[in-house]
Amino acid sequence: MSSEHAHEDAPPLTEEIAPGTAADPAVGGTERATVTVDGTPVTVEAGATLLDAVEAVDTDEYVPALCSYDRQEIGPRSECRTCMVETEAEGIVPACSHPAEDGMSVSTDAEAAAQARDVNLDLVLSNHNLRCTTCGKNGRCELQDASIEQEVEEPRYGVLDERDEYEPLDDTSSFIQIDRNKCILCNRCVEACNDVQVEGVLRMEGSGQDTRIGFQSDAETMEDSTCVSCGHCATVCPTGSLVEKGIEDATTIPIPGFTQKNSVGKAIESSGETKGPMTPKKRDTDRREDPDAAASTPNAPSADDVATDGWAGFEGGEWP
Amino acid sequence: MTSIIAADGTTIRISGTGPPSDLLAVARESDVRAVAVGSTGVPALEPLVTVTNGGETAVHTDCSTAELDTVVASVSGGSDIRAAEPDAVVEHDPGTATLPPVDLPGLDVGRRRVLGAAGWRRPTDAADHEAAGGFDAPETTAVLDAGADLRGRGWGDLCQDEPLAPTWETTRDADGDPTVVVNAHGNPTDALLLASAPFDVLEGATAAAEAVGADGVIVYASTADERAVETVRAAAANYPDPPVAIDVVTGPAEHRAAEPTMALEAIEGNHRLEARIRPPGPESVGLHGQPTLVHTPRTLANLAVALREGEADTRTVTVEGDVAAPATVELAASDTLSTAVDAVDVDGEFKAACVGGRFGGLTADLDVAVGPAALSAADLGTEGVVQVLADDRCVLEFVGQRTQFAADENCGRCVPCREGTTQLAELLRDIYDGTYAPADIRELVRVMDGSSICAFGVEAGRPARTAVAEFEAELQAHADGDCPTDSCPQPAEVT
Repeated sequence: MSSEHAHEDAPPLTEEIAPGTAADPAVGGTERATVTVDGTPVTVEAGATLLDAVEAVDTDEYVPALCSYDRQEIGPRSECRTCMVETEAEGIVPACSHPAEDGMSVSTDAEAAAQARDVNLDLVLSNHNLRCTTCGKNGRCELQDASIEQEVEEPRYGVLDERDEYEPLDDTSSFIQIDRNKCILCNRCVEACNDVQVEGVLRMEGSGQDTRIGFQSDAETMEDSTCVSCGHCATVCPTGSLVEKGIEDATTIPIPGFTQKNSVGKAIESSGETKGPMTPKKRDTDRREDPDAAASTPNAPSADDVATDGWAGFEGGEWP
Repeated sequence: MTSIIAADGTTIRISGTGPPSDLLAVARESDVRAVAVGSTGVPALEPLVTVTNGGETAVHTDCSTAELDTVVASVSGGSDIRAAEPDAVVEHDPGTATLPPVDLPGLDVGRRRVLGAAGWRRPTDAADHEAAGGFDAPETTAVLDAGADLRGRGWGDLCQDEPLAPTWETTRDADGDPTVVVNAHGNPTDALLLASAPFDVLEGATAAAEAVGADGVIVYASTADERAVETVRAAAANYPDPPVAIDVVTGPAEHRAAEPTMALEAIEGNHRLEARIRPPGPESVGLHGQPTLVHTPRTLANLAVALREGEADTRTVTVEGDVAAPATVELAASDTLSTAVDAVDVDGEFKAACVGGRFGGLTADLDVAVGPAALSAADLGTEGVVQVLADDRCVLEFVGQRTQFAADENCGRCVPCREGTTQLAELLRDIYDGTYAPADIRELVRVMDGSSICAFGVEAGRPARTAVAEFEAELQAHADGDCPTDSCPQPAEVT
């Protein structure tokens, strides 16, 4: 949910906020509806999604709905797609962001939906540092809970286990530590920061495998960002990606030297400089795009290339 | 300005993808009427000079200034248009408003309807378009009737392969002020239409706008398609008494920026493009939260021509890849892919084609009709772009590159696309190491197809899926350490 259209009466400050996310429509049903979930009729209020109905009954199969938060106007982001269910009318749909409409019939144990939830959860794990024993969220991690409940034993695509592929920990802030190797890109922190706290610090940035949580001020580290240390991002984070300092090793195995920091191996440390109280964020860039920047897009095929060579402008990715 | 359609005397048309300033200067040294028109869609023949007198047109392909000098001297000296040794001569109705079929490769296939203006009418000249029957505002009921039959063209169209009318109804009934977005991003035919036949596109867009009660049309194109953008801007400025406001905006050249909801994000000015979730789709909540139609120029030009000429369903196909020069042709829906590929010179022996754009399906069989039903039944794409692979192309390398492209270029929003494309590329790389797991590939592609947010992720796995279905032996050979085309690195060298 973007800050752009969600609150028309919001203070002018929000116009400056650039979370980097799409301006999603409101997704709930338009009126009170009765939906059948695995044969059980459920009545939900206006504004409800299919997930509200699914969560109201004891379903045939587990629906992780990992990235869903659905409180404080955060979400649905509908990114992890581990809430896929089958509907009679529309095939498989994401329950968390599909409006609950009267008369819909939903099944959780349909083969295509179950396969999609299972594969998508494994895909989340494929890009996750699964070193739970050195993680401060061990035992209170929503990804861990979902994986246990889904009975994941060996994720089909493995886990993010190449140490040289790890991003360094951002340990620069005195209050919040960032481990992007555990981020599932659920966007809850970005929405908490922008839509709830209206601080405009965090944003979604990049694309493809480079998609990451960054800072609207273009800062490289939490310390250099305009963060006011409210802690809301750490509160909503489903994994050990954003944790409060002081408890980042709260649940690691109590063996000397067995820490979150050395499990990742690389960390950006605090500069040690004292930092004054953060004023509302100062921004250098605007959400509006600079037309010149668009013109210099790296992948732009030139018109000449396209006209002369049948392959130019149709290049593939680097291979193998 | 007066129209050049059915004009008295001799008319020289200069057609090409670039500005024809040199040739135009030569032609204008004489007293013969000479004009610049847009590309025909067959750049191999261009610059293409046509000399028309009454019901006869002489065609000079790949015309140099020296050759044009001779032509001009011959014509202004009173000689017959055949005297200057043209490459072809065609007889036609003296009042024809569309480029007549010429016996030259690329211009001799199909029937030019939506491409009719390309290479024949001045792109930004309203009089030429009016002489072709344009600007005749249709009744709303006629537009709605046409929309019931017409299907959206291309992945940039909100109604890809679906009839337009149900979506129009949703937009008309939705709360708010509707807008029509013309999504010309990323498809060669769409760029060609903006550069060569923009009035047909704008006329279709205004008709759709009237049908849904929209008060504005926004033409959206890639910054890379400069000529298209310039031309449609000029055409919009020359549009006589436009029933709605027409704006032209550009977005970044990235492939994903053509996806309809990412197009809206680009138009709104977001610095980062990602897909929006739906439902509700843009037809109810779109640009700035208002109901929005998103149609491609192909769809809208088809609408305009259908309204002028009555029903006639054609498909445009651009053939690229291992060909001497790409070409865009217009075919009946029942014509086959081989008709399209026959319009170009293949470099080497034909081996396969990737049908349907970047994430099209691979096939060695071109005996498939170009209409959407036949293409879908064959698990091929309907984007209207066919990439030819000659016999020295390795299928594994090709699908590997396409899949890696998807992994690099996706918006990063949803897991099945962001992580799925990466894992799919890994499954394909594993083949070099001897592990070919077709069931795993099929499973992953099925989930990407079924659970991605937008068409990017839905279609990204198609090259791999169709390669597994159609070229299993070639993939298996790689797993056994052999590339049948000898174009891959030795398996042992790849770690």
